Amino acid sequence: MDGTAGPAFRFEGVTHRYGSHPALSEVDLEVGRGETVALLGANGAGKSTAIAIVLGLIRPTLGRVTVLGTSARRALGEGRIGVMLQTGSGIGLPPGVRVDQTLRMIRKLYRNPASTAVTVERAGIARLLGRQTHRLSGGQVQRVRFALAIAGNPELLFLDEPTSAMDVDSRRSFWDMIRELGREGRTTVVATHHLEEADRVADRVVVIDHGRVVADGSGAILKASVAAKRIRFGCRSPDARMLDSLEGVTEVGIHGGEVDLYSLDADATVRALVGKGVAFTNLEVTGAGLEEAFVALTASRTSSDEAGE
Amino acid sequence: MTGLLAFGGFEVRRLVRSWRFLMITVGFPVIFYVLFLDNRRPSKLIDGTVPWRVYLMVSMCCFGSLVAALTAGGARLSAERASGWARQLRVTPLPTWSYVSTKVIAIMLVVLPVVVLVEMVGAWFGGVGLAGSTWVELTLLLWVTSLPLAVLGAFIGFMVHTETAFPVVTALMFVLGYFGGLFDPVSSMPHPLRVVARVLPSFHQPALGLALLDGRGQPAVHWLVLSGYVLVLGLAIFFKHHLEEARGLA
Repeated sequence: MDGTAGPAFRFEGVTHRYGSHPALSEVDLEVGRGETVALLGANGAGKSTAIAIVLGLIRPTLGRVTVLGTSARRALGEGRIGVMLQTGSGIGLPPGVRVDQTLRMIRKLYRNPASTAVTVERAGIARLLGRQTHRLSGGQVQRVRFALAIAGNPELLFLDEPTSAMDVDSRRSFWDMIRELGREGRTTVVATHHLEEADRVADRVVVIDHGRVVADGSGAILKASVAAKRIRFGCRSPDARMLDSLEGVTEVGIHGGEVDLYSLDADATVRALVGKGVAFTNLEVTGAGLEEAFVALTASRTSSDEAGE
Repeated sequence: MTGLLAFGGFEVRRLVRSWRFLMITVGFPVIFYVLFLDNRRPSKLIDGTVPWRVYLMVSMCCFGSLVAALTAGGARLSAERASGWARQLRVTPLPTWSYVSTKVIAIMLVVLPVVVLVEMVGAWFGGVGLAGSTWVELTLLLWVTSLPLAVLGAFIGFMVHTETAFPVVTALMFVLGYFGGLFDPVSSMPHPLRVVARVLPSFHQPALGLALLDGRGQPAVHWLVLSGYVLVLGLAIFFKHHLEEARGLA
């Protein structure tokens, strides 16, 4: 699909408020065709709102949204988007029918559906076709719902926490599948809080917090740019402002007598600590994983929000 | 269009294949007709117009459509919405309005055979004899006037929580059935109940059927009340749907 011009979707200055509560604030985001993007964020961070806007389910209060070169609603109506939502307590499938009947009906809703054979094979549901939907296990339900999401041969695929009920093996083959879809030029956006998975699978990780995009890049870039290393030590009376000004430091966390510094240059930071005569004990330096990067990113927003109030 | 048809067919098939649903919707009105036929002399004129065997047949057609509509909508629909399937459909190319309207159409399609079946029992078991064209007119009339009940079924599915939907449906079936005069003519009830009946769809629907049979024409008041139900309940569903939509996926 290299010939298809333009991004998969683009947000320009998108703000959305529920009443006076801003769910998204001035978000600019562009996702290209064929990208596999992980959307990270805590519950209530704005992930679901962003997805609902791309699907045209809600119209943003402000800003412009383009999806597959047209409006969100039209792209969905034309059947160019596949979606697998989180279902909460329910299974998200109609009761009282077989899997194959459901799949057949869903395929007919799309103009240009994928072949049944391909869909069944990719989702790994060949042995589930004759089953009643309410007789499936949690992992099987996920696979069937994934089949329904790709049945329409979508250019853009949204998956909200797709692997939550899967075991390790199904998870691995699931992510292999997503990569294959990417090679075909399809764009996949996965909302997740499975950080390690996001890091391994996605070309790009977008972190949303308090309605803003706080980080955007590959997992490795995120790690490097946010907090390559975490320096932890004990200290009786830490001076947060001074610590923050040390070379390489991007983030300071003080929990009682324990200090966490996130640093892009751990060597320089440690030299500076010694140079300033900080009385530290039990100093340890560890690589900051994506999890720490995420915590650092979202924590910095929270603290600056509080400072602003 | 093929999509809509596929979805409609899927819905109807799902409804018809549920044997529990069929047992209840077909069983109740037929059994009640057989049981209650001897409550009065079958040829006794009710309100000086139609004999009891005809009155009861029209009433049980209406009761059957009430049971079918509330069972097909009601708890079923409520559970389906809670399961997340309705939300999944919203992110397919199906137009937004099609979910509710397909539900109502599917309910209407299963109401029709129930009406026909009760009429057949009325003709064979109850000895009701009507002209061929009158049978057709009566069937169509009772079917079309089931629309408020179909919308009521959808309304309960949309508004009532899954756990409470079942008792609500059961209670409504008997409250509407009894107070609408489906088991006993309203004229034999004490005055306050006769007033209550005037606001119920289950009074106005059979009244139209009976008016057709005794040649009183089609009093407008019945059509007005029934249309009022369709309008008010339909609008309520529309706004609920809209509200959920505005909340997006949350």
